[in-house]
This record gives sequence, structure tokens and C-alpha cells, in this order.
Amino acid sequence: MADLSALKASVLNGKRVVAETLAREALAAGVDPVVVMKEALIPAMNEVGEKFTAGEYFVPEMLVAAKAMKAAMEVLRTKLVAGSFTPAGKVVIGTVRGDLHDIGKNLVKVMLEGAGFEVIDLGVDVAPEKFVEAAKQHSAQLVAMSALLTTTMLAMPDTVKALDAAGLRGKVKVMVGGAATTEAFAKEINADGYGADAAGAVSLARKLVGAPA
Amino acid sequence: MRRNARLVLRPIGVEMSVKPGTALADALVVHGVEFPCGGRGRCRGCRVRVVEGSLAESAADRERLSAEELAGGWRLACQARVEGDLVLELRQWSGLILADETSFPFEPSPGLGIAVDIGTTTVVAQLLDLTSGQVLGTRTALNPQARWGADVMSRISAALAPGGPAMLRDAIRTQIASMVNSLLKGAPHAGPLTSAALVGNSAMHHLFLGHDVTPLSRYPFEPEHPEAGWLNGGDLGWTARARDARVLFLPILGGFVGSDILAVILATRIHEATGPTGCTDLGTNGEIVFTAGREIVVASTAAGPAFEGARISCGMRAAPGAIDRVTQDGKTLTTHVIGGGTAQGVCGSGLVDAVAAGLDLGLIQPSGRLAKDPLPLRAAVGLRQADIRELQLAKGAIAAGIRILMDEVGLPPGTVCPFYLAGAFGNSLSVAGARRIGLLPFPEGSVKPAGNAALLGAKMVLGMKGLGAAALASLLPRIRHVPLERRPDFQELFAEAMTFPEGSPQ
Ligand code: B12
Ligand code: FES
Repeated sequence: MADLSALKASVLNGKRVVAETLAREALAAGVDPVVVMKEALIPAMNEVGEKFTAGEYFVPEMLVAAKAMKAAMEVLRTKLVAGSFTPAGKVVIGTVRGDLHDIGKNLVKVMLEGAGFEVIDLGVDVAPEKFVEAAKQHSAQLVAMSALLTTTMLAMPDTVKALDAAGLRGKVKVMVGGAATTEAFAKEINADGYGADAAGAVSLARKLVGAPA
Repeated sequence: MRRNARLVLRPIGVEMSVKPGTALADALVVHGVEFPCGGRGRCRGCRVRVVEGSLAESAADRERLSAEELAGGWRLACQARVEGDLVLELRQWSGLILADETSFPFEPSPGLGIAVDIGTTTVVAQLLDLTSGQVLGTRTALNPQARWGADVMSRISAALAPGGPAMLRDAIRTQIASMVNSLLKGAPHAGPLTSAALVGNSAMHHLFLGHDVTPLSRYPFEPEHPEAGWLNGGDLGWTARARDARVLFLPILGGFVGSDILAVILATRIHEATGPTGCTDLGTNGEIVFTAGREIVVASTAAGPAFEGARISCGMRAAPGAIDRVTQDGKTLTTHVIGGGTAQGVCGSGLVDAVAAGLDLGLIQPSGRLAKDPLPLRAAVGLRQADIRELQLAKGAIAAGIRILMDEVGLPPGTVCPFYLAGAFGNSLSVAGARRIGLLPFPEGSVKPAGNAALLGAKMVLGMKGLGAAALASLLPRIRHVPLERRPDFQELFAEAMTFPEGSPQ
């Protein structure tokens, strides 16, 4: 039996090469890639999120853990037969128009991926129409927006309105975050939720799509 | 009971009565005298000359001033107490201008000049006799735009609202007019004001000149009007003696890098450097400048307000009651509080020092993790985990910015070069602490405090022919603004720079 707890630990400790090797070994030993996901990678990223929220981990630890997770995931991807793994949900994510701060957004993205979501990353300086278009095209259940500037958070309500106007609000939930935003701001602009950090983003996303925690 | 001492300040002509035993700094600060290193006897920026009466020599005086200066009556104001009647000459910064004619050529011209540094938080104005370059008076004030928010982005947001631009413009113009008028009143027989040189960051530049700030509010953050602004005193509501003064707001350099940094370049003479040289102004915006000899690159790193003590649980500005120094002896932490007394909080330099000492004692891990949260410093003041994280973001942004700018001019990491620290925080920072936390990657001897270099640069412009028009025309094309967000390796370098170095660096 392949050592899934060692794989989990390697992700938690940000050991990319080890994680990649262990993922390969697990597949070679005949472990179902879905099991590797559910028993090693997802719990590892869950714990990374918990440690981040508790102040034990910070951005650098989270980034190296993310790299290790991605390396292992890349190995699995080739073997994940289409349809064998149902993503927890589909999320379209981006930093809003006018803003280029993307480190927080990138962390939210990997945490969502680490929680089994399929994430479509639109990058930075994303216009409201682009959010709408991508949400439609990918039939996403969630649109996640990040803003770090007092000036650019004002682009968030525009996206909410554009989703409304496109008649998507029934199907697509909106969550917002980033240092400029607050819970109150999220309510004010009629978003469906606010997440204070990357771990919060995951539990919020699960709640909004009705996935089990 | 002893009678009060009479204190006369030249050349501003102020007379006051002070209780014997009063710290001289307390008496001077209300008259705009600055204490660049926070009154710690390190920077010489506060020195005054005793014309009549006497001030005892302090240990710091003997350390920082030459025998000649001591004999000439120079003392560090921040170290002195008033014991008897005194006549003092205030020469703030003027020593830097006048003491070295060759290195700072001052082209004498008739009349008076005013140099103004418009900071997001504070405004400083100095009146100069343009025939000699001598400083005749100083005024400092808070930037009245503060009521629209503490940082530049909130000011910009305010200016995007209907009626906003005029309100923000008028607030700062009114403030500066009153400073100019008051300076001229303090020098009643000195002739007309002929010129003024203003510097400030990109937002201050745009708001003062009345340019639309929309381009500064969103990507790509490229100002449409970086050029110099020319006005005259009459346009700005200045007093009759200043009505015909030519007022120059120096051009900005790109993005959020403003004319204050252009002035810093002039003051530190980075433009004349023939080898690797760098500089940073460590404020909320954290601007960085580098050259390897020819091209000059500049960037702003958006460090955030941690260095000013904001967003730190026990944070405060460098004011009485703030812990501003922390040292350790291998076992325990020792703190220094500005003005003595009980510690009320910790300011930016204290935060840097406390983390440095915490790292040395193993109370903080290189990852930034606190062994025990909170880390007590003194009295009720301590550091929390979130405070260390805030500092990591700020220092990571600066350190990554330094790495990137050095790379942009082809300097490999580890290159040793003279590195100037401009601005109040830079001057109060302990270089050893800054090195210990990995903020500055240079040996202690090569890091030099540069005082209020923005103001000095503005004064230098007043001393140039045609307000530096020709000099600036040849300098500006050599300066390139580097938008850090366009460097794909920023995230990597930022994350790397967020952790603290393992042992003490050599
Ligand atoms: C790094 C940084 C930069 C980098 C950005 C690099 C990059 N690729 O992202 C650089 C140097 C390029 C930069 C530039 C600028 N910056 Co900047 N920057 C910062 C800094 C230091 C850290 C931001 C960061 O990465 N934090 C770490 C991440 C992990 O935290 P986070 O983004 O908040 O994300 C977390 C949560 O918010 C949440 N989250 C984030 N997004 C989302 C989304 C959802 C849906 C959810 C649920 C949760 C969520 O999860 C994340 C993880 O827990 C901050 C200061 C600070 N101390 O915060 C300033 C700061 C954000 N910048 C600021 C400014 C003004 C700028 C500039 C506009 C001007 C300037 N000074 O140069 C420029 C222009 C940038 C541009 N073109 O967009 C200001 C904003 C002030 C304001 N009131 O608006 C700040 C606060 C600094 C300051 N006070 O001056 N900056
Ligand atoms: S030496 Fe007095 S303030 Fe620096």
C-alpha cells in the first residue's frame, strides 16, 4: 500500500519533489487517483488552510505547499479518467478591473483546487463582462472576485450588476475578498458572501454550492 | 524658584520663555524644527548653534560633532536642556547645503525662495535667502487632506467623487498659502519671494495641480500628466510679496513615484554616481531608486503602513511613549522608550528592532512564527503574531523591490553599494535591526541616513539656474519607472523575502 500519509505530509511541508515522487509511487502501486485526491491532497490543503487561519502558516508556507500540491495533482491528472472525479463545483476567479494584485487571488485559487473545485482563472484586471462571459461559457456555479485597492473594489458591484443583467444571478453565486473588502461591503453590493482568507474562501465556496464540508 | 529662561531663535526671530530644565527639543518642535532620527542623537539633523548663553556638551554631541563644531557652539538640539537664557541659531539642513559649496553648488540669485515637501501626512516648507542659500524659517503642518483618508488611494477615491477634486485641491493650496504667508511674515525685511519649488508623490502632484486622478486609480496606473506644473504665487492666494513668485511643482517619475523621489535623487546625488548606488524612502509607499552608473530605475513597492506603526496591535507613531529601540543581551530584551516614562506602544523602528532581537533569542522563528503569542516587550506593550505577519508583508515588498531594481540595472544580489535612507522612518531605523530582519541586504557601513532628502532636493532646485530646467531636462530621460507588478517573478521574490534570515548575517 502506498504511503498516503507521507504524501499528505510532503504537501503540508511544501516538499514538491517528494510529493511528486510519492504521487507517482501511489499510482504505480495501483491506488485509485481519486483516493489519492481524497485521502492525501484534499486533507493536506485543508490542514494548510487551518494552519494559515491559526497564524501558524503564512504566505510563503502556503505557496510552497501549493506548489507541492500542484505537482502531485499534475501526476494524477493524466490518470484521472474523465468523469471519475466529480469536482466540488466550478469557480470562475479573477482580480477585478483596474487591479493587478494577484497573490491573494492565487492562494484562494489553489486552496479551492486543493478542496476539489475546478477553477477557471481569468487573471488580473478582469472586466465585469469577462466574468459574465466566462461564467456562462463554463456553466460556473460561483464567481470569485479579489480586490486590494480602495479604488478598484468599486468594480465589484459592476460585475454583480452585469451578472444580474445577463440573468445569471439565479445560477451563479458571487463571493468577494481581498484586503480592501469587508463583510459589510459584500452585503452592500449584494454579493453572496465574503471570505477573510484563503481557508475562509473554501468553506464559503462549499457553503454556496451546497457541497459537504 | 528659579525664573524662566528666555530663549531666542534665529533667524526666525521667535522669542519665548521656558522653564529651566525643559528639553530643548520640546521648545523647538513647535517651531517646526525637525528631529529626523527621532531625537536619538544619531543624525545631526537637529543641530543648533549657541550664539549667547551656553548648552552643556552631551556624549552624543562629542560623538557626532567635530571638535571644531563643538568649539563653534554647535550642539544637537535633541540632547540638550535649557538651563539659562539662550540665543540659538537654527540651521536645520542648511549645513548640508552651505557647508559644502563644491558638492552642492548654490547659484545665488536675488530674493527669497520657498521649498515645499508635500507628504501624504505632513507638509514641510522652508524659506531660503536665495542670495546665500541660508534657511530663514521652517513651517510644518499636517496635510489637511487627511480628513479624506490616511493613504493616497483613499484621497484618490475621494477625488473621484463629484466635487472631490476641487475640495482636495483647495484644502492643500490653502494650507500651503498659509505656510508661505507665515514664513514671509517671519522675515519682514527680506525682500520679495521670487520662486518656489514643490515636491510630492504622484497623488499629491495631481491633486495640487488639479489634474484628473482617474489614471492613478486603476491599472496601468500611468499618470497622464507627469510633467512639471508652473504657476505663480498670485494663482495660489499667496501674500502680495509672493504674488509674482514662479511656482514650480517638479515632474513625477511614473506610476506612484513622484517628484519627491526626483528631489531625493538630486539630494543624494545618485544621478552623479559612477558606480552602483541605491536609495529608499521607507513610507507607506516605499519608493526605491537604483543605478549602476548611467540609467536610474525607480519603483514603488506599496509596503503598507507597518513602518509607521499602523495596523500593528500596539503600534503608534514615533512619539513620546513609543518603544523605538529594542536590544538583547543573549537572554532578555531591553527596550528604549521615546521621552522615557511608561511604554504606550511601539513605533516602526521599535517593531523592526523587536523582531530582530526576537529572532536572535529564538522567540521568533525565521518563518515569522512566534514561539509564544504575544511576545511581551515592556509594560502592556507586546507583539502579536499578526503584527509579525504585517511586518513580513512590508519588509518582503521592500526587499523584493530592491532585488528587482538591482536586477533591472544588472547588479547581482550581494553587490555592495552606498545605500541611502531618506525620510523620517529611514533616519530612525536601526541599520543593524533592518539587516537582521532582511530588510536591507547591505553591510552596515554602506547604509547612510539622508535626512529629509526630498526637501533638500527641492531646495537644491531653488539654487539651480532657471529652477533646474536644463539640469532636469537632461536627467529625466535617464530615469525609468519599473512597474513591479509586471515582473512575473515578483510573487516568488516577495514570498522569499517575507521570511527572515536564519542566523545573524555577517
Ligand atoms: C504585494 C503588494 C503589491 C505588489 C503586487 C504584486 C502582485 N502580483 O500581487 C506590487 C508591489 C506590484 C504592488 C503595487 C501597488 N500597490 Co500594493 N501592496 C502589496 C502588499 C505589500 C501586499 C499584498 C499581498 O500580496 N498580500 C498577501 C495576500 C496573501 O493577502 P490578500 O491579497 O489580502 O489575500 C488574502 C485575503 O484577502 C483573501 N482573499 C484575497 N482575494 C480573495 C478573493 C476571494 C473571493 C476571497 C473569498 C478571499 C480573498 O485570501 C488571501 C489569503 O488569505 C500590500 C500591503 C499590505 N501590507 O497588505 C500593498 C497594497 C495592497 N498596495 C497598495 C497600493 C496603493 C499599490 C499601488 C496601487 C500603488 C503603489 N504604492 O505602488 C500599486 C499598483 C498595483 C497595481 N498595478 O495593481 C495599497 C492599497 C491601499 C488602498 N487603500 O487601496 C496597499 C494596502 C499598501 C498601502 N497601504 O499602500 N503592491
Ligand atoms: S541627532 Fe538630534 S534628531 Fe537626530
